[in-house]
Amino acid sequence: MTDSLDTRKMAMSGAEPLVLLDGISHAYPNGKVSLTELSFAVHPGEVVCLLGPSGSGKSTAIRCVNMLEPVTAGRLVFEGIDVTAKDVNQVEVRKRVGMVFQNFELFPHMSVLKNVAIGPIVSLKRPKAEAYDLARELLAKVGLSDKGDVLPSQLSGGQQQRVAIARALAMQPDVMLFDEPTSALDPEMVGEVLAVMRKLAEEGMTMVVVTHEMRFARNVADWVVVMEDGRLVEEGTPERIFEQPRMERTRAFFGKLEEQDGVLPTG
Amino acid sequence: MIARTVGFEWDAFGSSFAPLLEGAVMTVVLTVVVMLLSVPIGVGLALLRLSRHKVVRAIATGWVEVWRATPVLLQLFWVFYVLPALTGITLSPFLVAIVAFTGHVSAFLSETFRAGIASIRPQQRQAALSLGMTPAQSFIVVVGPQAWWRILPAFANTWVSLFKDTALVSTIAVADISYIGLQLRQETFMTLEVLTAMALMYLALGYPQAKLADWLERRFGVKE
Repeated sequence: MTDSLDTRKMAMSGAEPLVLLDGISHAYPNGKVSLTELSFAVHPGEVVCLLGPSGSGKSTAIRCVNMLEPVTAGRLVFEGIDVTAKDVNQVEVRKRVGMVFQNFELFPHMSVLKNVAIGPIVSLKRPKAEAYDLARELLAKVGLSDKGDVLPSQLSGGQQQRVAIARALAMQPDVMLFDEPTSALDPEMVGEVLAVMRKLAEEGMTMVVVTHEMRFARNVADWVVVMEDGRLVEEGTPERIFEQPRMERTRAFFGKLEEQDGVLPTG
Repeated sequence: MIARTVGFEWDAFGSSFAPLLEGAVMTVVLTVVVMLLSVPIGVGLALLRLSRHKVVRAIATGWVEVWRATPVLLQLFWVFYVLPALTGITLSPFLVAIVAFTGHVSAFLSETFRAGIASIRPQQRQAALSLGMTPAQSFIVVVGPQAWWRILPAFANTWVSLFKDTALVSTIAVADISYIGLQLRQETFMTLEVLTAMALMYLALGYPQAKLADWLERRFGVKE
């Protein structure tokens, strides 16, 4: 029973991982250790959710993937390239990795449309007309076609985060990283952002999502990684992790969430 | 001097303006040229002061502190008298003025720019990097423009100060408003009239600059 719950579709199909964290460690300049020998894989088309208490290193882990944080030990492989190698071209790797931040980080001095078009224009040297066409298409996709001309400050938090997703998609990345994309939102706006993410997942986008939204992890993730104190506690399919957590620390984490928010999502 | 108690000579006041206007051209040219040079140099110094390399930071900081901690009048005299003695290079008074004021203003601006750049959240830069921009592109497209609007009020103050401080070039015989005005006063003894005309000239040119800067800030200030 446990075994069938624990099978990983992508791994079984023999595909090479798109992102492989191979025993990575990370410490901040002040010496505080945030990751210790963390390993997990993300296969093409998979949605991997990172769960765990605040300060467990989830955000640091995905920030290492696009090299916003330097890995101090271990290997981090993206599309077969070891991005921890000295001679790696960080800029070229980042062009293929989309990132969505907790606080949106839209550029406040640009219109919403320009926010979405600016990546292709500056980084990929696309013609402006082409980039703006793509930006309009993506704004429509996240349900904000009528907001292209306004400044980000005129949008709600949920709308801003949808623009931020469109902005990352404009680079046509091979993987999208989400760093607690709904944590800064008022509760009534969480749904609209998760709906966009769910749609992306259904279209086959490879996603790594740091989240506290257990229902999203349960229903959308293909693989769940539970972390604590910078270490991997356990990993598995959402069904297995949520229904039969093996580790005491996973159960304790879920227990705390239950105290805070009521029930855990099931089935 | 005692004869000059008989009120205000309106004719002398009126006829001061034509020569002063010639001086005004010099004052404006000095201000504009110094600013055009000081903005890029100031940005460069600010970036050097934010550099990761300690030595680069220390050199840039030392340079800025020397210019910030000495009076601009002394800087003017130093470039005028000491620089030729040390290097053998003699500059025209106009070039002396440009060099000394550019050194002074770019040092002050670099502090303003540094504070402006540091006030932009690091996550903004990270968002730009995440879109595949190079560090230089991130600065030019994302961080720089936001910092620019944030420091605009301080920049406008520096601009208006520079415009007024250029009066000091009269001490090295550059024919600006002050030089021409003070010459005129010596020649005509119309102290009251000439100095009042000078004051009006500076006010007429300086006030719109200050107001323009205020307007720019209201119009383009970044709202988050």
